[in-house]
Amino acid sequence: MIALVGVLFWAGVHNLRHRRALSEIPHVTLMPASSADDNSPAPEAEGAELRGKDAPAFTLTDLSGKKVSLADFKGHPVVVNFWATWCGPCKLEMPWFQEFSSKYKGQGLEVLGLSQDDGATRQDVAEAAKKIGVSYTILMPDENVAKKYGGVDYLPETFYIDRAGKIVDVTAGAPSKDQMEALIQKTIAAGGA
Amino acid sequence: MFALLAMPICAQLQLGSLDRAAQAKKQHVELLTDSLQLTANKPQDVELRFRVEPGFHINSHTPKDELLIPTVLKLDPGSLHIANEQYPSGQHFRLQVGNGEDLDVYQGDFRVMLRVEAPKGATTLTGSLRYQACDTASCFPAKLLPVQIAVTVR
Repeated sequence: MIALVGVLFWAGVHNLRHRRALSEIPHVTLMPASSADDNSPAPEAEGAELRGKDAPAFTLTDLSGKKVSLADFKGHPVVVNFWATWCGPCKLEMPWFQEFSSKYKGQGLEVLGLSQDDGATRQDVAEAAKKIGVSYTILMPDENVAKKYGGVDYLPETFYIDRAGKIVDVTAGAPSKDQMEALIQKTIAAGGA
Repeated sequence: MFALLAMPICAQLQLGSLDRAAQAKKQHVELLTDSLQLTANKPQDVELRFRVEPGFHINSHTPKDELLIPTVLKLDPGSLHIANEQYPSGQHFRLQVGNGEDLDVYQGDFRVMLRVEAPKGATTLTGSLRYQACDTASCFPAKLLPVQIAVTVR
C-alpha cells in the first residue's frame, strides 16, 4: 500500500514537472534576441490562469481625472497593459502599443495602459507617458484591479481581450514587436463581430 | 483509500501555486556579510557585500533615468558612528527591447563601503537595502532586503 502511494506520488511529481516544462514553451517568446544575460527564464504570467475567462471588470481614473471602465469598450478588442514608470522594458514596448493602436483603430482596437506607479501623482505618470510618446488611454493604479488580474507582480504584463470580453492571451515580459502584433491580430479575429 | 490516492493530485496543485507565488515574493539580492570585527574607537573602512541573483540586475545608486528606482542602503547605526557610505560605480547594461536603453546597474557581487567608528562591545547593525530588480525583459517592484550584521568591537 505504501509502495503504491509512493509510486502515485512520484508519478504526480513527474507529471507536474513535465506539464511545467510544456507550459514553459511560451505562447510568445518572452526574451528579446541576443542578450548577455540570457540565463533567466521568464516565469509564466501570474494572470495566465485567466486565459479563456471573462476579463475582470474595473473602473479606474485616467490622466484627466475621468472615470474609465472596461465595460465602456464592450464590443471592442482591448489590450490591457500593466506598466510602470520605473520599468524599463515596459517603456520600450509602449511605443509599439501606440503604433498598433493607430494601425488597428479601424478594427476597433483599444489599448489601455494601467500604471502600477503606487504613490505617483497623475502629473508624474502623465509626464512619463508623454516622454514615452503614447497618447492612448493611461489609467492610474488600484491594487484591487491588479489582484483581480492575478496580482501583477511582474511587469510588463498584458492581457488581450476579445470583443466578447474574454481573455484570449496573457504575456509577462516584453515580447518582440512581431509577436505583439500577432497577438493583437489574434485578439481582433476572436470573439465574433 | 480515496484520500491516499488524492494526495498526489493535491501535491501537484500545491507545488504549482507555491512556485508562482514564491517567485513573485522572493528576494533577488542576498546579503553576504553577516559579521564585522572592528577595533574600538578607531575610524575604519568596512564593506557590506551583496549578491544579485544570476540573470537579474538592479539599478545602481545613480541610475541614468530619474524615473528608475536607485539602490539605497539605510542603516540604523545604534552605537556605531557611520561617517560615510560609498556605493560602487554601476556597470553598463544595454536593455535589448525595442529601441533599447543603456542602464547603470549592479550585477553579480557588489560592495557598499562604510567608514565606521565604534566603542568596545558587541552590537548588531540593522537596516535595509532598497532595490528594484529586472531581467532582460521584465521587472519586479522595488523590494527591501533586511540587513542584520553582528558587530564585535575589541
